[in-house]
Amino acid sequence: MPSDTDSFVEEARAFLDTHATRRTGGGQAVQWGVGDDQVAYFSADPPDVDAARVAEAKAWQKVRHDNGFGWITGPAEFGGRGLTSVHDLAYDALEAEYDVPDTSVLSLIGLGMIGPTILTHAQEHIRRRYLPAMYAGDIIACQLFSEPGAGSDLASVRTSAVRDGDEWVLSGQKVWTSVAQHAAVGLALCRTDPDKPKHRGITAFLVDMAAPGVEIRPLRQMSGGADFNEVFLTDVRVPDDHRLGDVDGGWAVALTTLMNERASVGGEGAAGPAGRAVSLPFLAELLRANGRLDDAAARRELAGLYAEVAATDYLNHQSLRRARAGEQPGPEASVSKLMYARNLTRGAHFAAEVVGPRLVADTGEWGTFAWAELLLATPALRILGGTEEIMKNILAERVLGLPKEPGIDTKSPFRELRRSGRGES
Amino acid sequence: MTGDLDVADGRIGEAELEELRAATRDFLTAKADEAAVRAAAASDRGYDEKVWAQMAEQLGLQALALPAEHGGDGAGMTALSVVLGELGRVLLPAPFFSSVVLAGTALAAAGDADAARRLLPGIAAGTTLAALAAPGRDGGWDLDGADARGGLAVAAEPGQCGVTLDGSAPLVVDGAGADVVLVVAAGPAGPTLCAVDGTAVGLTRTSLPTLDLTRRVARLDFWSTPATVVGEPGGAAGVLRRVLDVATAALAAEQVGGARACLDAATAYAKDRVQFGRPIGTFQAVKHKCADMFTRIQVADAAAREAAAALDGAAGAPDPGVAAAVAHVVCSEAFMAVAAENIQVHGGIGFTWEHPAHLYFRRAKSSQLLFGGPAVYHERLLARAGM
Repeated sequence: MPSDTDSFVEEARAFLDTHATRRTGGGQAVQWGVGDDQVAYFSADPPDVDAARVAEAKAWQKVRHDNGFGWITGPAEFGGRGLTSVHDLAYDALEAEYDVPDTSVLSLIGLGMIGPTILTHAQEHIRRRYLPAMYAGDIIACQLFSEPGAGSDLASVRTSAVRDGDEWVLSGQKVWTSVAQHAAVGLALCRTDPDKPKHRGITAFLVDMAAPGVEIRPLRQMSGGADFNEVFLTDVRVPDDHRLGDVDGGWAVALTTLMNERASVGGEGAAGPAGRAVSLPFLAELLRANGRLDDAAARRELAGLYAEVAATDYLNHQSLRRARAGEQPGPEASVSKLMYARNLTRGAHFAAEVVGPRLVADTGEWGTFAWAELLLATPALRILGGTEEIMKNILAERVLGLPKEPGIDTKSPFRELRRSGRGES
Repeated sequence: MTGDLDVADGRIGEAELEELRAATRDFLTAKADEAAVRAAAASDRGYDEKVWAQMAEQLGLQALALPAEHGGDGAGMTALSVVLGELGRVLLPAPFFSSVVLAGTALAAAGDADAARRLLPGIAAGTTLAALAAPGRDGGWDLDGADARGGLAVAAEPGQCGVTLDGSAPLVVDGAGADVVLVVAAGPAGPTLCAVDGTAVGLTRTSLPTLDLTRRVARLDFWSTPATVVGEPGGAAGVLRRVLDVATAALAAEQVGGARACLDAATAYAKDRVQFGRPIGTFQAVKHKCADMFTRIQVADAAAREAAAALDGAAGAPDPGVAAAVAHVVCSEAFMAVAAENIQVHGGIGFTWEHPAHLYFRRAKSSQLLFGGPAVYHERLLARAGM
């Protein structure tokens, strides 16, 4: 561990003491029936509340940035601090002790995934233009990767980019785009040569989300809210200097983003309202309040759930400690993601069973129908950020060394590959 | 930054642990291949005495985690876990778990300097074999938990010098070959830890057919058997609680080792076995099975490590009782699932007597049930967590 970490932590503590308030009491005691009974995973906020939250997040990121904590690992020339991930983790651990606005609208996609990609693949003046603004909380970035026909098989994107002098003209449809409605810029994967094999005809562009031809439509998910968007690109003109990486070299750019995604999603703890679904004190209160403390079947399920949740926490803590010691992240990120989805899903179904018929309709009773949103959000956990099936392929092939499935065509021109549905090419 | 969780709280470093693992693995590779394990398990005593002696003389494994003031090295649970992981990987039939972990922990926890001085150095040297009888009439271990309802298996009455024991201990791991048997008996002052000589008058030992072929279990019948009290009369409940935490955490490390061996066997076979013209590991049905096994093992390993660190008193670690109970649940279930899936990946060959897969399946189920099984360990976890 670098010897300067102690003084860095001291400085960070002084900064947080000045600009934030420390959490009190640790929030351990559960007060049943008091306050908000929300256990939602996705925000179900109306647009004005959502906008206020985004403004708060940006403002806090700005304060971090102005005090040297906006981009701890970033190079100084782009507004970063030039320190190591050890410092970054130390800061995160410290900030968790304080009550500060949730900045995931900026950080999860933009700062966590798109920023590092721009840093690695963009030209100097583009980096200067976007990175300082992003890490100062001025602008939000989104990821224009998935398409209706390119989910797990991301390399089969069809959104086209055609060169026109110093510009490119983009047309196509992106889907499942988080924070697009708040974003100033998006990283798009486009097909630039359909006659090459699918991985070799893709190019990456930074798209101005306010440019003519960009249309953002909220995508309502099964839990009722609209946390994602569809983004339609119709003859959107992008200057060539906004291209990341080589022409037809976009797959390497995508891999940079995806590598950072796995780290970003896997490390997600069970914080927020949904964390109640995997909290032993909260679930014990749930049993008590429903007169089920002596129910052997319920107790056993709770113990089984608690054991898995605690063990997953131990795994995450141990990975974090190794990361702090400077070790490269191992396969734990995929394991953590699988376990996170499994545990939260199990917790939601456990709560549903305890609440019983009061989850069928909203009776108005505290802590009952509130579980509906989480229950309806759980299918997403097994899909977003890489499906369970893809995660298992990664573990089996890259960690255990099992052979790839034969017959996956990576050589034919993209144009000749089979598509879903009508099957014309 | 301070407050990071160091391995065994600084008692033994990461590099030394790696050396310990490598030395143990090399030793077992040389002395305990599958044929040797099968032969030892089928032998009269159920283990290879020569290998047992070499474990002590060449590697000092028996002494590793026992108290330094009584012939041990005091290296802690994290170090012990490394050894148990390796022993579990090859299913070494040896009285390590019974003598070193169960009896050794009971003696160290009993606070009886005389008994510790008398017995621990021999246990640490591998020259004394000790066993600890499951205290319950039904083979259970919890005095305050769900399986206390069966009552204690053995009663202690004041005798001429010490006490005399009466009753039957139904499940004593390595009880038939032990030089000394520790028994938690119902005494006038409450549950009392007693030591009985293996050859004492009035002690009948019957080796039982076992589910796990690599771990011996005996029934012990006591008929006015002379014994000495270890520690405070009536003070065994606290000792037993400590033994349960240490033993389930130790077992968890052993279970992870066994589970890893199963996953290694399954992935090796999936790469090698060809059906429909391709290695079966290319099929996602098989691939995902292996990924599921890996996931369970990663989580189980984390639980076992955390329990060991907690018992070592490492900074930032959770409550040791909770962590041990978590590890016991997660590692028991992971090993059982992985041992079963290993057979499934192997198909028919995995169901044969000649294939080692069943030895792991047997160990997995046996170790899952040894301290009470699912009905007990779930409630024990809730109790440890204060619910």
